[in-house]
Amino acid sequence: MATLERDLRAPAAGRRFGFVLDRPEWLGPLMIAPAVLYIVAIVGLPFLLALYYSVSDISMGRRTLGFVGLKNFISVIPTSKFQTSLQNTFVFAIVSQVLVIILANILALALLKEFRGKWVVRLLLLLPWVAPISLGTIGWLWILDSIYSVINWTLEAFGLITADGWPMYLGKPYLAMGSVITVHVWRLLPLATVIILAGLTSIPKDIHDAAQVDGASFWRHHFQITVPLIRPILLVALLFGLVFAFTDMVVIFVLTRGGPYDTTQVLASLAFFTGIQGGDLAEGAAIAIFLFPLLLAVAFVFLRIARRSEVT
Amino acid sequence: MAGETVNRREFIKATGAGALATGLGANIIIPGRSHAAKKTLRILNWVHFVPAYDEWFNKKYVVEWGQKNDTEVTVDNIGIAGVNARAAAEVSAQKGHDLFLFNWPPPSFEEQTVDMKDVYAEIEKKVGKPIDLAIKSTYNPKTKKFYALSPSFTPDPVNYRKDLFTEVGLPNGPRTWDEVRVKGAEIKKKRGNPVGIGLANEIDTAMAMRTIMYSWGSHEQDEAGNLTLKSKQTLDAIKFVKALFQETMTDEVFTWDASSNNRAVVSGKVSLVLNAISTTRTAEKQDDPAMSKEIQLAKALRGPVRAIGLEHVMQCYVIWKFAENIDGAKKFLVDYVTNFRQAFVAGEFYDFPCFEKTVPDLQKLIANDPKAHPPDKYKVLDDVLKWATNVGYPGYATAAIDEIYGTWVLNVMFAKVAAGKATPEAALDEADAACRRIFGKWKEKGLV
Repeated sequence: MATLERDLRAPAAGRRFGFVLDRPEWLGPLMIAPAVLYIVAIVGLPFLLALYYSVSDISMGRRTLGFVGLKNFISVIPTSKFQTSLQNTFVFAIVSQVLVIILANILALALLKEFRGKWVVRLLLLLPWVAPISLGTIGWLWILDSIYSVINWTLEAFGLITADGWPMYLGKPYLAMGSVITVHVWRLLPLATVIILAGLTSIPKDIHDAAQVDGASFWRHHFQITVPLIRPILLVALLFGLVFAFTDMVVIFVLTRGGPYDTTQVLASLAFFTGIQGGDLAEGAAIAIFLFPLLLAVAFVFLRIARRSEVT
Repeated sequence: MAGETVNRREFIKATGAGALATGLGANIIIPGRSHAAKKTLRILNWVHFVPAYDEWFNKKYVVEWGQKNDTEVTVDNIGIAGVNARAAAEVSAQKGHDLFLFNWPPPSFEEQTVDMKDVYAEIEKKVGKPIDLAIKSTYNPKTKKFYALSPSFTPDPVNYRKDLFTEVGLPNGPRTWDEVRVKGAEIKKKRGNPVGIGLANEIDTAMAMRTIMYSWGSHEQDEAGNLTLKSKQTLDAIKFVKALFQETMTDEVFTWDASSNNRAVVSGKVSLVLNAISTTRTAEKQDDPAMSKEIQLAKALRGPVRAIGLEHVMQCYVIWKFAENIDGAKKFLVDYVTNFRQAFVAGEFYDFPCFEKTVPDLQKLIANDPKAHPPDKYKVLDDVLKWATNVGYPGYATAAIDEIYGTWVLNVMFAKVAAGKATPEAALDEADAACRRIFGKWKEKGLV
């Protein structure tokens, strides 16, 4: 009797589980749950903590949090260091993203063509993305070093500069900003290229064929057919890049630490120096999340445009 | 097994043996575990600039100390860039190491650390008083608490090229900042070697700028901890640095990180830097000893008011309130400090004692180092305890002073003027406003 009950129960449980797998309204959330949990634990909770810190008086060695409202924001926003960092953040993010989108388009178009050694080019292209960023940036530190710069050694060897005329890539404000933007572009280019490449390959071939038959020039073809068709994915690439550029500090921390004289200091690095090096976690958090409303608005607008541009 | 039977006696024998093996087995097999579980002590040190020190500390000293004190000691080493972030993580988790080593005073962690008053007292009974620099770097006069204990510090002498300075008539190196300016300019003009005092967002610049300020009688704060940055002396110090940069240096100094000045002097590019003896030790380890013979050390340079130098690194141990073995950590510190001579030798004289009597033959040791060129190269440091001071001199290294240091306020002030991007007055106003705000914040938090 007991055996019979067991036999009847087992398929019933199996049927229940099978029922869940058969229902898309259950299966979807179930499959996405690990990712959601991961994001909540790794991104969501620290973000909420940062929000809370920014309106508190917490410091590095303190665990009690007194609520101070917007005091940290009101205190830090008028400072010249913050203003400079804010300005640098916009220059850094916008210039780097314009370059990334232009270069990624060119590379993606090139990689769409068939040529010998294409897989090697793809591999090389992906290297900056797969290598740890701190390691890659340390390589750049050597390339841009004031004594051992391989660029300057080469230029000098070819007689293009003299020994005492070496450009100090990290020592002049414009060169330093140019350097950190270059390294940031080098780092983000692979991701943008892969995203745009995916968009390009998804365009049906007959559309290109029709344009060719109609005699569209390369530029007309590209800007009036290809770009509008990949606009949603282009906007996603741009959104990723902008969020990275506005919130990341690794390149600047390794190369300049905000120098020379704060001309490459961005909000992310200022937040680190204030909160971790300086010990004022609350003010560091306030600096770090200052741009959050703006980024949220940008993300909302971009995703909305992307959704509207989707070809159905 | 079919047909085999187990009688009651055999069953009891077997199960009894099994129970014994399960319950007492570990004690029988491993005699060491027959007593109460061994105590543990977890230490976090940053990776020492002299690798031989870590070798001695991790593999010899703590092993022997652990055996003597029936304690299993583990040491974790991390890079200096991660020290503050790691400390913040441990505080946040309320879990981590029993002993945590900072390489600068950590006043903002005060509320999380055990008062070291009794440790200082215990050590004082054995080896006498600590130097003033140690107290100024680990004591908060406002809360009357020793938030850390400093066993040692690293001097920050002048490293100069003997061959170059001999050519301009100073074979024993410069003695004043004015000599650096005048003779440095002469060397740059004659031989192309600039002076190498950093003007970047990094710690060596932070130390060098304060050395100049203090030599000019300019300070971030007075002895009582009142902000005093805005003064004629600071303005004069800024003007001097501007002239020093224009006459003796190049834009290179704006690009530097903490190791750049080492590379610049060891590669033969610059004529003078301020740095710890890691520079000369690096030169000694080169295949070609030529540069090691040329790089010599000099005492703190004299400015208009005094000759004074900064500590380059301040070793500060804290014991977290949440540490699992507070007593063990205190005992370790007392023993480590009283035996500091071993550390001094193992670290190749990089770390000088904060308790002078722990290395009674210090003068003799540094006067004859077989690795040095010449063997008495380090003799110049024999009175370093008299001219080395702390960040925040003549006051204490408080949380406000620490934030000013960690956010490069003074580095930027000097660099902007040197680069011609701001007038001395405007840069000083800006820095003073930043310092005033930082002082205000920490006063409100009750730590200053």
